[in-house]
Amino acid sequence: MIGIQEVDLKGFVTKAVQGVFKTMLSVPLELEDPPNIESVTTGKHIVGTVGFAGAVMGNVSIFVSREFAREMTAAMLGMTVDDIGSDEEVHDVIGEVCNMVGGDLKSRLCDAGFSCSLSIPSVTFGENFRTESKGWDRHERYGVRNSHHSALMEVYIKAANQ
Amino acid sequence: MALKVLTVDDSKTIRMIVKKAFQNYNVEITEAENGVEGLAAAAKIKPGLIILDITMPVMTGTEMLERLKGDADLKNIPVIMLTAESGQDNVLNIVKQGVKDYMVKPFKGEDLIERVRKIMPLEAKAEEADDKKPGRFFTQVEDVVVLTLPAKVLRPVAVEVEGSLQAKIKEMAAAPLKKMVLDMGGVSETNVSLIKLIITVFQDCQKANIAVKLVANAKQGEELKGFQETSQITAVHSIEEARAAM
Repeated sequence: MIGIQEVDLKGFVTKAVQGVFKTMLSVPLELEDPPNIESVTTGKHIVGTVGFAGAVMGNVSIFVSREFAREMTAAMLGMTVDDIGSDEEVHDVIGEVCNMVGGDLKSRLCDAGFSCSLSIPSVTFGENFRTESKGWDRHERYGVRNSHHSALMEVYIKAANQ
Repeated sequence: MALKVLTVDDSKTIRMIVKKAFQNYNVEITEAENGVEGLAAAAKIKPGLIILDITMPVMTGTEMLERLKGDADLKNIPVIMLTAESGQDNVLNIVKQGVKDYMVKPFKGEDLIERVRKIMPLEAKAEEADDKKPGRFFTQVEDVVVLTLPAKVLRPVAVEVEGSLQAKIKEMAAAPLKKMVLDMGGVSETNVSLIKLIITVFQDCQKANIAVKLVANAKQGEELKGFQETSQITAVHSIEEARAAM
């Protein structure tokens, strides 16, 4: 079994998020390196997070601007942005996207020998905020973007036996 | 008789995607948000198929499935599990639980229909009611085709009108008819879907060499001037006025 430092987190997470956006939203994404952190942490933005616990512990979050989140919602539900009824729909879509990305990451971790379970997604929204968490083996950020918007994925992970 | 399908998922988004996937079939959808609600609904409606998410609060899909299998009345209902996890262990667990099939998220509605068809036949919806028939927005006054928009033009309606417009334009070319009136007088709210639809109608008619006039009330006429895309369109106030101007 490989160690937690050898896990290809970047490959797992970025491929998962690209797959979810392409299949569910018909939105192709390309990698953005370095990630455009400012664009998804200033102004109104939304963060979806799922946690995993077991042989490894951690969480994966996706940060998007409110505008991008609304466009994602419209694409996923087959409507226009104007037709979105409430923020609840937007939050549900961000939670579900995060759940799919987290589910894919969890599966790959399990297949690599790090058995773990996934939490229900949570969604945080607000304006001009950043989050930080300490005490992890790895903390990484990856950026993706389409022609108009950036999204940021953030992963915290550590082995449970530490 | 319609096939009863129970979709159990804590995500409204996924329930909506499932619902949309079945929209062209003779299917009655019932929704539940977790395993507890799902079990209650299953006992009440005795569905012909259950689409069941695994990770849910209150009661997971796995627990709900165990209870279904332990209930003599419900144990034979076919179940398709939905999971965000494609890992080997997860897939093996799902298969062991005796489900008919499973789908890994992300998935498209058509993929779900394909899986369902492998388990059971799906009957296409019977002839639609008059208010659902394609072409229901169109009438004809002598040599003028009138496209009357409904009170609320949200995206699904706009898509439906755009779809039937293409067919109507072909019909008009064959007739031949060369005049159309777009009547938005009964629309209660001006929104982006409406604006886009108006532009589409004008552009498609122009391409097909069909003259088109817009009927709108005074307030709507003012609102249209506020949008760059429609600011140049002159509206008249009645179908008669439009016909006279063509």
